[in-house]
Amino acid sequence: MEYVGLYCQFIQIKLKSMVEYRGAFLMNFFAKSIVFSTEFILIWIMIYQFQNIAGWGQYEVMLLHALNIGSYSLAGFFLFHPFTKLGQHIQSGDFDEVLTRPLNPFFYLISREFSTGYFANVVVAFSIFVFCIHILEIRLQGLDILFLLITILGATLIQGAAFIISGTVAFWIVQNKFLMEFFMFQTRGFIKYPISAYNKVIQIILTFIIPYAFINF
Amino acid sequence: MALIEVNNVSKDFLVYKRKRGFLNSLKSLIIRDFEIKNAAKDINFSIDRGELVGYIGANGAGKSTTIKMLSGILTPTEGNITVDGRIPYQDRKENALRMGVVFGQRSHLFWDLPMVDTFDLYKKMYKIDDITFKHNLEFFIELLEMKEFLNRPVRQLSLGQKMRANLAIAFLHDPEIVYLDEPTIGLDVLVKSKIRRFIKEVNREKKTTLILTTHDMDDIEEICNRLIMIDEGKILYDGSLTNFKTQFGNEYVLTIDFAEENIKITDSRFQLVKDQGKRKSFSIKRSVINPSEAITLIVRQHDITDIKINEVKVEDIVKNLYMEGFYGK
Repeated sequence: MEYVGLYCQFIQIKLKSMVEYRGAFLMNFFAKSIVFSTEFILIWIMIYQFQNIAGWGQYEVMLLHALNIGSYSLAGFFLFHPFTKLGQHIQSGDFDEVLTRPLNPFFYLISREFSTGYFANVVVAFSIFVFCIHILEIRLQGLDILFLLITILGATLIQGAAFIISGTVAFWIVQNKFLMEFFMFQTRGFIKYPISAYNKVIQIILTFIIPYAFINF
Repeated sequence: MALIEVNNVSKDFLVYKRKRGFLNSLKSLIIRDFEIKNAAKDINFSIDRGELVGYIGANGAGKSTTIKMLSGILTPTEGNITVDGRIPYQDRKENALRMGVVFGQRSHLFWDLPMVDTFDLYKKMYKIDDITFKHNLEFFIELLEMKEFLNRPVRQLSLGQKMRANLAIAFLHDPEIVYLDEPTIGLDVLVKSKIRRFIKEVNREKKTTLILTTHDMDDIEEICNRLIMIDEGKILYDGSLTNFKTQFGNEYVLTIDFAEENIKITDSRFQLVKDQGKRKSFSIKRSVINPSEAITLIVRQHDITDIKINEVKVEDIVKNLYMEGFYGK
């Protein structure tokens, strides 16, 4: 708990730094919004052609994807930089500095490397999510909202775990880029679409071995 | 008990043998021969509170390895280290709270913000109370002459200004021990002298113990009262700076301007090192003949117009030691 104040101080510093480059922040926001919106548009066009995927309609699949992107971005705020760059830090010796501080190394790492680049992702994911709920005329009642919040929390934790697992491997093998790529980008690509669309083997892998299916299915 | 105790400490790294050639590289994917590299071999020393220790050695001699073991980053393979009664790699956090580190090649400042923001962060990180913080900050800003660039973003500062800020950070929480790894690397003469003055002043005021690694022997000569020299992981010298000079630098150079040309000194104790016609330089061993005797000897036999004695600088001694090896002489 003693870390909370310190964490706020770190985030303050990061936000202050971000404000220094207002132009870059806005451009980044703009570019990322376009990239992620395109992903959703692609899903929309594809399913428009095929009518449905494994019985799932356009807006349903988009809803799933919004959950995926949303939870990924929430985890990314805290964990993207510390763990994607961990290999580099170990290689260059920058990681030493972490060990010279009177703090828990994990905590210090995630505070120092807090990422300000995910605002766009969260905004896009949230808008699409609300939009889909509206189109699909889903009525969320008390318990549903609670369930939804728990789902998002769980999904964020799964995404975060994937960051940490693929990152910490760098302590043994130093280079962790390929693993990051495999876990975070390739494998996660599967859950763009409902799991029921895949064959049994992939379903089992995504449920039990790399439990990405729990993020949004 | 001494503040820092290092007993029989060794550090081995397992590195795999790289062989030449592409095929051998491919083979090493499957089979690797490992070899042990001793970065530190049976190191012993103890340092008392308030000492200013210069820790020198050629690149790759094991300086950084030792500093990293003392600061708790690395665990020694053998032997034990205690710093103020704590084992640095076990009580890492406690140890870190009471030490400061400066790695000359890295900066701990936030690039885009003025350094005062970083100071505030470190105040929280090290739980520095308001009075100490304010007092130290004023003291350091004054001593390091940082007032004019205090509110400028760090990215606009020069290397010397950044280094001064990094030093201030390392001393901000009144640490008992500060490790300075090449604090003057790449800095101009003026900044170097500011930094040296700062280090001496803080040591005097606060009795901070300092271990300093450097390649600039002027740092050592101006700051340190004790010298530890390491080569290939072994300690070669540990003692006072004066003692170091007399032990290894017992030569001095006598430069004489003779009144006439073609003077020959046949005395074998005078070793001619430079002949510029009338001006000749001789290297003389102090243990064989001391300067006043040497001068008297020359003056008695020849007419001279000028005479100069040059002491050997620590830098030259160290250079010789690096080149010839310690026992090569």
